[in-house]
Amino acid sequence: MKEKFLQKEQFPKFINELMNRYPVYAPIKKNGFHVFEKISSPKIIDLEYSNTKIPPKELFFPRAETLFSYAKSKEGIDLIQDSHPDETRVILGIRPCDVLSFLLLDKFFNSGKFQDPYYQKRRENSLIIGLLCADPQSTCFCTSTGGSPFSEAGMDISLTDLEDKYLVKSLNIKGDQLLEQIPWLGTASERDIFDATRRAKKALASIKTEIPIEKLSDKLEKLFNNDAFWSPFSQKCINCGSCSFLCPTCHCFDVVDEKTSTGGKRIRLWDTCQFTLFTQHGSGHNPRPTGKERIRQRIMHKFCYYPKTLNEIGCVGCGRCIRVCSVNQDIRSIFKAVQEVEGG
Amino acid sequence: MESLQNSMREIVRNLLTEHKIDLAIGYEKGTLPLRTSPCFVTKEGEIQKLVWNSCCDLDLTKYLFKPENQNKKIGIIVKGCDARALTVCIAEKQIERNKTFIIGMPCLGIIDKKKVEAAVAPKEILEVKVIDDQIIVKGKDFERTLSKKDYLQTSCLACRYNNPPIYDALVGGKPLELPSEIDWDKIIAEFEAKSPEERWAYFSELLKDCIKCYACRNACPLCYCKECFVDQTQPQWVGKTTDISDIMFYHIVRAFHVAGRCTGCGACTRACPMNIDLRLLSKKLEKIIKDRYNLEAGLNPEEPPAMGAHKAEDPQEFITEGH
Amino acid sequence: MTTAEEHPKPEEEKTWEPKILAFLCNWCSYAGADLAGISRIQYPPNIRIVRVPCSGRVNPFYLIKSLQAGWDGVLVSGCHPGDCHYISGNLVARRRFAIIKDILEFMGIAPGRLNFSWVSAAEGEKFSKVVKEVVEKVKKLGPNKKLVKE
Repeated sequence: MKEKFLQKEQFPKFINELMNRYPVYAPIKKNGFHVFEKISSPKIIDLEYSNTKIPPKELFFPRAETLFSYAKSKEGIDLIQDSHPDETRVILGIRPCDVLSFLLLDKFFNSGKFQDPYYQKRRENSLIIGLLCADPQSTCFCTSTGGSPFSEAGMDISLTDLEDKYLVKSLNIKGDQLLEQIPWLGTASERDIFDATRRAKKALASIKTEIPIEKLSDKLEKLFNNDAFWSPFSQKCINCGSCSFLCPTCHCFDVVDEKTSTGGKRIRLWDTCQFTLFTQHGSGHNPRPTGKERIRQRIMHKFCYYPKTLNEIGCVGCGRCIRVCSVNQDIRSIFKAVQEVEGG
Repeated sequence: MESLQNSMREIVRNLLTEHKIDLAIGYEKGTLPLRTSPCFVTKEGEIQKLVWNSCCDLDLTKYLFKPENQNKKIGIIVKGCDARALTVCIAEKQIERNKTFIIGMPCLGIIDKKKVEAAVAPKEILEVKVIDDQIIVKGKDFERTLSKKDYLQTSCLACRYNNPPIYDALVGGKPLELPSEIDWDKIIAEFEAKSPEERWAYFSELLKDCIKCYACRNACPLCYCKECFVDQTQPQWVGKTTDISDIMFYHIVRAFHVAGRCTGCGACTRACPMNIDLRLLSKKLEKIIKDRYNLEAGLNPEEPPAMGAHKAEDPQEFITEGH
Repeated sequence: MTTAEEHPKPEEEKTWEPKILAFLCNWCSYAGADLAGISRIQYPPNIRIVRVPCSGRVNPFYLIKSLQAGWDGVLVSGCHPGDCHYISGNLVARRRFAIIKDILEFMGIAPGRLNFSWVSAAEGEKFSKVVKEVVEKVKKLGPNKKLVKE
């Protein structure tokens, strides 16, 4: 583990050095929000942001991805495996909650018998430089889901903003190797490290939301058939799907085949349990026919099934669902309601 | 504003206690600054939750379509734009007029939270107070006062019907007389002076961030089809990817489907997580319908919408005669 | 209205021929096209015909999807107003077509790609003239590249 510092005036130089070696993805500002994109110059990076609109899961699990294509030929059908990015890339500026989301997504895409080669390759080829949170938002509750604003889990290198400079810490061999390529970074002083620790304590203290989420899974299990419990929430919800599309841990997808002029292609797309067709059977039957079943599914999946089957909470507390919901359905209200249910 | 809120609550109280309605749908205070959330009131004790202020942005007509709200007598709080959307649904026989008690509210102009957030970004807004014409925005280490008229929703700046055209009760008080600041006819004319290439480039650029989440469709009170064209697979009309062709197809068709029905309420723009604003297209749609058929959506519950009718003398200047 | 980008490159210009998809109503326009054929009236071969029972059957989806599939132009043709076999199908089509054409042209599809006409069963000559006019219009515009999905 190395602890270096980077003066903010040197930040463009640092980025240029990275760009000379790897493609670099960082947050850029668009029309009122931030997203991760491959950058062409350090000038467009904007680290003055709380979190990106679209979570960085899209860098590993894109919105629409061609898995392969096929073309008709004289011999029959040619299968064309679309080339997937093979190059190592640097992703810079990811918040701790989003990095934790990758660890959760790994359990889905990268575990045991079933390995998703598309996701896996991207994960292996990515160097993650996280940006620790000095100023969590009022809607953040990462501490209730096993994270923290200064958590470095899953990062190769962490950046801490110390006003005039960044504390740059490498956390594993991959991180060490990257920092070795930038030898002009100065070694961080005791004061820098102390400053970072102080900021971490302040950030932690600023998170006001405290929800005993682990305790909710048992109660939720018992609430499955309780219509009266779910009604008030399903009443408000318009099933627009924004919450799950913009959730860093939501990973459901659909696979479709589309014709092209020469043959066709198979595409994987984001899907959400909030869409009506998500559980529509070929027969026409839909086990989740109304919004009530669908909103219940989302909560149960993340806060009951995940803990019970994977021993993890299916949420990183980033608060995007709270901010983006068109009708201001606040997941914290749902937690509160579960807590207030008697018994359990 | 307090008195408007109180009058509104009184009307709901009377309706509930006299059993004229089973359910009242209105707005309640949100959990975030500048937000309100839909409120469903069935008991007298819940009436205190109902609020009326400049953050009541949602179009509540959507909730009349929920399966659990069918066959109920419902009292609904509406602004002028919401009432027009509701009128379209009544004209299309999707909502029963006699089962709906329409409580019309004078609209004070709705604050656009995205504009306010952009004004103080990247700082987080923790508290907002709206006093008359001022928006006082507070954060962790800042306080700013903004002039409300500079932060209204774009739809409010072109509003011509801030009084609901149909209602069963109109809460007293004058609606805010908003000068129509935006001359859409001029903006449309300037746009149409551009070449097709430039116009296509403009829309491609505007829509390239679309993530096809369909929140616009879900938020729109007029998108009530049980099976949306997006979900049809036999045949599959629109591809589900974020290829610009598929994105354009979806938005073109949705525009076509709301032609003659769209009242410019702005629910689609508010719901879009990527802040895409297709107002230019929806205003052009309104203009097409007005110029061609002299119709405006949502003013008359007896009149079928433009695309649901036809006349022998409809304009046909576009016919190819074959010369 | 053409622009430099829409016009095909000079080498291709001589060989490129537009492909026009035509939706013709069974009772009038299709019969009119048939009459043109029987009467040996020449018209450009760029047109491919799809027979529909009525112009009112034409879903705007077909028009947009045609552009997406790479067709350079579309023609929808039905009975004259007042003569529709189904009484008012063509009147429905007229409003629909007006709106979709206005929307697409506003967004930047060149005027001339979407065409609508009234051709009766007796108007073989007119049909050929309509086709000629449409083909000429689209030829000037060049290949359709907008909305095309590969």
